[in-house]
Amino acid sequence: MLKTFSIGGIHPSDKKISKDCKIEVLPVPSKVYISVAQHLGAPATPIVKAGDKVLAGQVIAEPAGFISAYVHSSVSGTVKSVGPRKDLAGNNVIHIEIDVEGDDWAEGIDLSDDIVTEIPEDNKAILEKIKLNGVVGLGGATFPTHVKLCPPPGKKADCLILNGAECEPYLTSDNRIMLERSKEIVVGAAIMKQVLGGCPAVIGIEENKPEAIKAMSEAVAELKKTAKGYDGISVMPLKKKYPQGGEKQLIDAVMKRQVKSMGLPIDVGAVVQNVATSLAVYEAVQKNMPLVTNVLTVTGDCLPMEKQHNYKFRIGMPLSYIAEYAGGVPQEAAKIISGGPMMGKAIANMDATTVKGSSSLLYLTAEQTVRGVESACIRCGKCSEACPMGLEPFLLQKYARNGMMEELEENAIQDCIECGCCLYSCPANIPLLDIIRIAKGDVIKIIRTRK
Amino acid sequence: MTQTIIWTIAILVILGVVLAVVLYVVAEKFKVEEDPRIDDVEKVLPGANCGGCGQAGCRAFAQFCVESEDMDKCFCPVGGNDVMQKVAAVLGREVAAKEPMVAVVRCNGTCENRPKINEYGGYQSCRVKAALYSGDTGCSFGCLGCGDCVQACQFGAISMDEQTGLPVVDEEKCTACGACVKACPKNVIELRNKGRRNMRVYVSCVNKDKGAAARKACKAACIGCSKCAKVCPFEAITVENNLAYIDFTKCKLCKKCVAECPTGAIHAVNFPVVKPKADAPAPAKPVPVAKTEAPAVISTGGEAVVEKSVKKEE
Repeated sequence: MLKTFSIGGIHPSDKKISKDCKIEVLPVPSKVYISVAQHLGAPATPIVKAGDKVLAGQVIAEPAGFISAYVHSSVSGTVKSVGPRKDLAGNNVIHIEIDVEGDDWAEGIDLSDDIVTEIPEDNKAILEKIKLNGVVGLGGATFPTHVKLCPPPGKKADCLILNGAECEPYLTSDNRIMLERSKEIVVGAAIMKQVLGGCPAVIGIEENKPEAIKAMSEAVAELKKTAKGYDGISVMPLKKKYPQGGEKQLIDAVMKRQVKSMGLPIDVGAVVQNVATSLAVYEAVQKNMPLVTNVLTVTGDCLPMEKQHNYKFRIGMPLSYIAEYAGGVPQEAAKIISGGPMMGKAIANMDATTVKGSSSLLYLTAEQTVRGVESACIRCGKCSEACPMGLEPFLLQKYARNGMMEELEENAIQDCIECGCCLYSCPANIPLLDIIRIAKGDVIKIIRTRK
Repeated sequence: MTQTIIWTIAILVILGVVLAVVLYVVAEKFKVEEDPRIDDVEKVLPGANCGGCGQAGCRAFAQFCVESEDMDKCFCPVGGNDVMQKVAAVLGREVAAKEPMVAVVRCNGTCENRPKINEYGGYQSCRVKAALYSGDTGCSFGCLGCGDCVQACQFGAISMDEQTGLPVVDEEKCTACGACVKACPKNVIELRNKGRRNMRVYVSCVNKDKGAAARKACKAACIGCSKCAKVCPFEAITVENNLAYIDFTKCKLCKKCVAECPTGAIHAVNFPVVKPKADAPAPAKPVPVAKTEAPAVISTGGEAVVEKSVKKEE
C-alpha cells in the first residue's frame, strides 16, 4: 500500500500530456524584462540604472529585507530602463528592461555539463552561496530557500522532504527534470541535508511518474556507491492524490506527522523543498550558477502533440515570445494559465514575463473553464470530505458571506491552503474558494493586528 | 377546612409582601445609572443602524454623543445637520453645521472609454476580482464593475448603469454613510461635499499610471499633465503620482480646469445648462475624444439631476 496524506484530497485528472517531451532550450529573445518581485517577501531593490552594461548572472537587484532575494540578469546586454511594467495579473511591478547583446556570462560561473558530486564542507559558505545566487522555492510559493534552510534556534530538522509529487494535472516540468537531471537533484538534496545537520532525506514522487521514480532511485543508488555524503537519501513512491504537493500534506504522507494550525513544518521537524529547488541549489553551490533559468511546460488539450513542450527558459522572457516560439496560441484556447489548473493563475497579460517560479503556459478550452450556475447548498458535505485541511468549506462560506469573523477564526479558516478541492467537488457550483480566500485574508489580518 | 384556606391565603400574602419589599430594596440598591438623555438622543436619530457614524449603531452613537465633550466629533451622516441640531438641542449644546457630503464615483471608464482586454469569468464580486488580478480592462486602478458598492448601500442609493458598466449614485438617497467607500477595493468612491446647489467639480479618475499608459487603457483617464493645476486660481488642484486631485474645501467651482483638461477627466456636475451656448461646458480645445466625452459628462452626472435641482431652486 502506497503512502498518502490522511484527510481529504481529490484526484482531478491523470493528464500529463507533455510528459515525454524532452526539455528544449529556448533561444534568448532580443529583449528581456526582469521583475524585482519574483519571490515571497519584500521586492528586491534594483542596483543598476539605464545605460549600464550587464553580464548574464550578474546581480541586478539586492534583497530589501530578511525575507527577500537577489535577482540576477539572465542575459548579457545593456539596461534600457528600470520602471513599472504590468505583471501577469496586470499589476504594476518594477521591471528591469535589458537589450540583449551576445551571451556572455559573469566570471566564476561554471557553464560545463560535468556533474560535481563532491559536497563542500563549510555549511556557512553553502548557505551564503544559496543566498547570493538568489535561490527561492520553485514549488509555487517562491519562499527564499536560505531562510528555510536555517531552522530557528531550538528547532531541529528530522527529515528533509524533496517534493517531486507534481500532483497538479498537465504540469510535467518537475517530471522532466527528475528524468533528465536526476543526479543533480540528488546532489542538491545531499547539500541541503548536510546544511540541516545530516537528517535523512526522502524524495516523494507520485506513482503516476514511474519513469521518474526509477530514474531517481537509480541516481541515488549510483551516487551512494561512488561518492560520500549520500547515505540516508531514499525515494518514496506516493499514491496519486491532489494536493499531495502541499507542504503539510506531503509531511503527513511521508512522516505521518501533522503540522498544527498556524504552525510551520519545522515545528514537526520537517523541511520541504521542491525538486526544482534542489536542482537550483545544486547549480548555485556546485556551479556558482545563479537562479536565472527554470523549466516550464507548454501544454493543453487543444495543442497537437508536436506543439507540447517542456522548455528551459531564462527569467524575463515575455510569455508572448514563448507562446510564439512554441507555435502560437491555439484558436480554441479560452484561458491561459500560469501554473496548474487547480492552483495556477489565469494570465491577464501575455506581455508579462517569466519569473523564477514560472511553471507552465497551460491552454484551457472554453468548455474546460466554464463555471456552472450557482445553486443553493444542500449540505451534502462533499467539500468537507475533499478538504485536505479538515475544514468545512460550506460553513466557512456561509460565515464569510455574513461577515462573522469570530466564527470563521474558530473554524480555522486561516488553515485553508487554497487548493481548490472544495470548489472542484461542489455539485452546486458555489464559489467556495473565492469567498473563503477573501475571508481568510481578513481573518489573518485580524490575528496579526491582535498580536 | 376553612382554617386551611385562611392560613394559606395569609401565608401567601405575607410572602408576597416580604418578597416585594426585598425586590424593591435590591432594585434600588443595584440600579444601573443610565443617562436619560441617551434615550432622548436615540429618539431623534434616524434608527438606520448603518454604522456610518463609526459607532456600532444608533444607540451606541447616542451614548457617544452624550459622553463626548466635543460635538464636532459626533456626526450622523444619515440624519445630517437637521438631526445634529436636534441632538444638540436635547443635550443643550451648540453644534456647527457640517457641509453635507455625497458619495462620488471617481471613474469614467465606461465600456466605450475603457475597452475590455480580457473577460472575467469568476465570481461576481469586486473584492474577489481585485484579489485575483487587475481587472478586465487595461486600467488597473478603476472601477471593476461587479457592484460591491451597490450591495453595501443600505439606502438603495447606488445602482449599476448597464450601459456604462459603472455605478451611479442617486444624490437624493445618498446619506454619505461611507459604506460604499469601504466596500470598494479600488478606492474609487470618495465622499465629497455636496457643494453649492449640488454643483461639484471633481477628477473622475484614479489612475496613477504614467500619462501614455493611462491614456492607452482609458480614453477618459487623467494623464497627470498638470494643466488643471496651473490654471486653477485657488490652488485647489494637486497632481501626485500622475493623478490630479481637486481639494473640495478649496475649490470655488470656477470650472476653469474642466475646460483645460485634454481628456475630459474632470467632471462638472449639476451646473445649470446654458441654453444659447450649448457646447460651453465641453473642453475648449478640439481633442479627438471631446465628442464622446461631452455627452458622457452630462449623462453620468448631470442632465436628469440638473433639471431636478434647478426645479428645486425655483
